[in-house]
Amino acid sequence: MESWKSHVRTELFHRDCREKDPFSGLYGKVSRLEEMLDFHMELWKDMDTLRSKTNKRCPDEGGTLYLRVNELEFLNRQLKQTISELTSSLYLKEAELQYCHSQITRYRTEAVMLAQGASSLQADLAEYEYQLECQSKELSILRLEHQTVKEELTSVNLQKEQFLDRWLEEKKEEAKRINKHNATQERWQRLAGRMKKRYRARSRPPPPCVANSTSEIKTMEPQHQRLPS
Amino acid sequence: MADDKDVLRDVWFGRIPACFTLSPDEITEREAEPYYLLLPRVSYLTLVTDKVKKHFLKVMKAEDVEEIWFEYEGSPLKWHFPTGMLFDLHASNTALPWNITVHFKNFPEHELLHCASNSVIEAHFMSCIKEADALKHKSQVINDMQKKDHKQLWMGLQNDKFDQFWAMNRKLMEYPTEEGGFRYIPFRIYQTMSERPFIQKLFRPVSPEGNQLTLGDLLKELFPAAICVEDEPKRYQVIIHGIEPLLETPIQWLSEHLSHPDNFLHISIIPAPSD
Repeated sequence: MESWKSHVRTELFHRDCREKDPFSGLYGKVSRLEEMLDFHMELWKDMDTLRSKTNKRCPDEGGTLYLRVNELEFLNRQLKQTISELTSSLYLKEAELQYCHSQITRYRTEAVMLAQGASSLQADLAEYEYQLECQSKELSILRLEHQTVKEELTSVNLQKEQFLDRWLEEKKEEAKRINKHNATQERWQRLAGRMKKRYRARSRPPPPCVANSTSEIKTMEPQHQRLPS
Repeated sequence: MADDKDVLRDVWFGRIPACFTLSPDEITEREAEPYYLLLPRVSYLTLVTDKVKKHFLKVMKAEDVEEIWFEYEGSPLKWHFPTGMLFDLHASNTALPWNITVHFKNFPEHELLHCASNSVIEAHFMSCIKEADALKHKSQVINDMQKKDHKQLWMGLQNDKFDQFWAMNRKLMEYPTEEGGFRYIPFRIYQTMSERPFIQKLFRPVSPEGNQLTLGDLLKELFPAAICVEDEPKRYQVIIHGIEPLLETPIQWLSEHLSHPDNFLHISIIPAPSD
């Protein structure tokens, strides 16, 4: 039992020990005596009235009998009251029993529903666990693949770097070759130009002025660009 | 649970020994003897004091008798509050029996409600039950009951019949399992230190996170001074039905088991005794 609940129960017990139990016996006795006193007082009044009617002064045997009969009637009434209270209490107990049965039915239904819910949740859980297992297997496979692909990527990257280096090297060589070719071409052009000039100079009479021959030679020069090495 | 039903019985059969004395201001034909009575904690003063009235009327003239009212150490006792709560609030740390003074004159109009007959008490009792059910179930349970069911609740209290009362009252204590408790807890906090009659607010038994709230949580929100701080002397006593429940007691359980027949949890907060 929870501590707070047992505390309440203990405190209620102590409260009754303090407030109710020391007084209930005495108070009950006083109450019963007062009830009897009231009853006897009523009887006394009745008997007094009766005596004044019959002009009798002393209580006789009939009077005592009257008192006894009335006392018995009084007790009889009290007993009837008790029986009626017990009967109604019995009905109430029967009703309570029925209520308890209905509560049992209600809780049973609730329990069945909860059990069904629990079993359905358990099935779901098992399914989820299976899915989780499959997915974790897939994940480990994918992780392995990822690892392989990553390694391949690294090797490919390395190869690419090497190819790039080689390509740059080749390009450098090519540029050198072209530059060399261009330089040769240039040299040849220049030589051809000079030879042409020399040939023209030999094949025609001397020019009237020097300025014209210079401009002609200029137009014969090659138009090659020099590539960067 | 069987244990919990015992708690209900202990609560229902709680009694306070009282000694009723006629006020010296009253005019009597001869000296009035005091009247001794065990008062049910869960009932109302005017509902159980017919014999007291009858006892004192024997020594009084009819013309000197007006409406009966009760007083304790100068404070008129409000009959519309449960007797146990009145005792806890005014006299819980005093010697027993509880000395109550009876008056038949000078009715304190501004402090007490008139109680001409038991039908006034019945009306008050039923109105409290309806208010409590409005808080607990939006009045659905009490409205579904028939007139005879209402009567059974009242007759159970009037005749001090535990089984008769609880055969009907248990319906007012039910709630859907999935909700974990009532919609709101019907409670009232009384204190002697204030002019305010009582504190009453909306308070749910379960927090938004789904945790059960306790008496401590209720007091923290509504009367924080009643919560004892470590290393400091206790300033207040929190009393329900003459006992001090632990602050960790779930408020839903208290409402189900320590409520008065009007379905309210009556909580008295009094200054702690200095000794």
